[in-house]
Amino acid sequence: MREINFKTRLLNAINKKPVDRVPVLCPGGMMNMAVVDVMKATSCFWPEAHIDPEQMARLSVGVHLLGGIENAGVPFCMTVEAEAMGAKVYMGTRETEPRVVEYPLNAIDEWRKLPELNETHYRVEVVLEAIKILKKTYPEIPVIGNLTGPISLATSLMEPMDFYKALRKNPGEAMEFLDFVAENIVKFGVAMTKAGADVINLADPSGTGEILGPKVFGEAAVPVINKISESIEDATGVPVMVHICGRLLPVLDQLKNIKSRVLSIDAITNLRKVKQALPEKVVMGNVSTFLLEKGTPERVRKAAKVSINQGAGILSPACGIGANTPIENIRAMADAAKIGSV
Amino acid sequence: MKDIDILKTIADNVVEMEEELTAKNSKKALEMNISPLTIINQGLVIGMNEAGRLFEENEYFVPELLLCSDAMYAGLKVVTPHIKKEETHVLGKVVIGVVEGDTHDIGKNLVKVLLQASGFEIIDLGRNVPARDFVDKAKQVDADLICLSTLMTTTMGEMKKVIELLKEERLRDRVRVLVGGGPISESFARNIGADGYGENAAGAVRVAKRVLNIPDALAS
Repeated sequence: MREINFKTRLLNAINKKPVDRVPVLCPGGMMNMAVVDVMKATSCFWPEAHIDPEQMARLSVGVHLLGGIENAGVPFCMTVEAEAMGAKVYMGTRETEPRVVEYPLNAIDEWRKLPELNETHYRVEVVLEAIKILKKTYPEIPVIGNLTGPISLATSLMEPMDFYKALRKNPGEAMEFLDFVAENIVKFGVAMTKAGADVINLADPSGTGEILGPKVFGEAAVPVINKISESIEDATGVPVMVHICGRLLPVLDQLKNIKSRVLSIDAITNLRKVKQALPEKVVMGNVSTFLLEKGTPERVRKAAKVSINQGAGILSPACGIGANTPIENIRAMADAAKIGSV
Repeated sequence: MKDIDILKTIADNVVEMEEELTAKNSKKALEMNISPLTIINQGLVIGMNEAGRLFEENEYFVPELLLCSDAMYAGLKVVTPHIKKEETHVLGKVVIGVVEGDTHDIGKNLVKVLLQASGFEIIDLGRNVPARDFVDKAKQVDADLICLSTLMTTTMGEMKKVIELLKEERLRDRVRVLVGGGPISESFARNIGADGYGENAAGAVRVAKRVLNIPDALAS
């Protein structure tokens, strides 16, 4: 099959149409690609790049140009929605991502006083502007808009322990709050597609089956994740991928109910087993981030080959990569997708 | 009601996440002249250990374990003011916290609850704790163990920093170090020279006892 461009290859992989080889991604968001090597090469550094659209765009595309990753993706953290909805955020350092330092809610029943996410909030504006710049400058590279998952956002707006307890003790209120959170995530996602995002990635590291247990995961997290992905896909036609962290084998039954076509998984779970249990899904993953940061290029290449051989439809790191990950290792992962394919 | 029945009820209250009932029955047990330490060790702690076991067997998850610990603390709040100082027996002093750059502290809190229930004295430094603070605090309180937690790949490097600082201060022989959290693995722990790795909260308690040479029977 003739070589096809990055965007076509990714969209074909997502839509299960023929591809010449698997695409290789670092989606962005919690799974971002802004390592120090790339910051130095592009002269765009954290934390400035979180609030400057020009720098955000250049840094995001840097790993494509330097490391052979086949997408751009913004933002680089999971605090944009939270800040736009009233959380106080510390922007982090060159090597650590921004994080929430003060929650707007003291108790779950206060959620009705939260502001809605607004497209004119400066953090939201920066991301939308960066997407526009990427689209204009690099039209052939797919741009991924990254959204914070519903449980992760809810636990960025109030003390996580209180939220988890509320899921058991006060499920009615917790679900109403989650619905409100979901509406705001959808709003941001739709705005991203209007700015030009080709794919949306929804990552919910705080909403895993390991934390919640299969019952709460299936009853609370899965329906809200589906509501978000379906609302965005229905409104825009842009595909939504879902990243779930942690051990997935105990929640395979619940994962069957995830509507998204692409399921991104981390390294702790055997990709082949997930693919066998969910044959209709495109499984994305799952090169160990620890290996990416500390291993040799040769070992990274081998691990990437293992992921592909186990059935990865899209190759990517298993989770967020450390800021000190060498660019050679990222390139080794990208090479594994490109060399020796049919 | 017999002593043994009320203690069993208190343990069940903790397992069943009944905060108010745990407090009520702990008070009742005090009124029956059961000693505070008996109420703790044969009621509250038995319940919390059972909750830990259910957590390890994937019957309970984070929300359930948090509610059980709320119930246990509700009972402790009732009975601890009645403990006479000389009665307490501590297995070891533990300094615990989430390393700098990370604010996810649920895992750390679960480990803390279960260590406390097992008889350790806990000094909780909270979250986003600089490496230096762990070492200074361990020195100050003469700690036996430091427990480090992180959920993020990006902050794993901080754990090694703590161990290096302990070496610099010549404390490494005196203080054991346990690491745990989402991205942490047994091999990572070995790699940075930690003494042990806790795969989950219940596992962390077992490893803590192992590295401090505390026989299992003595605990809880």
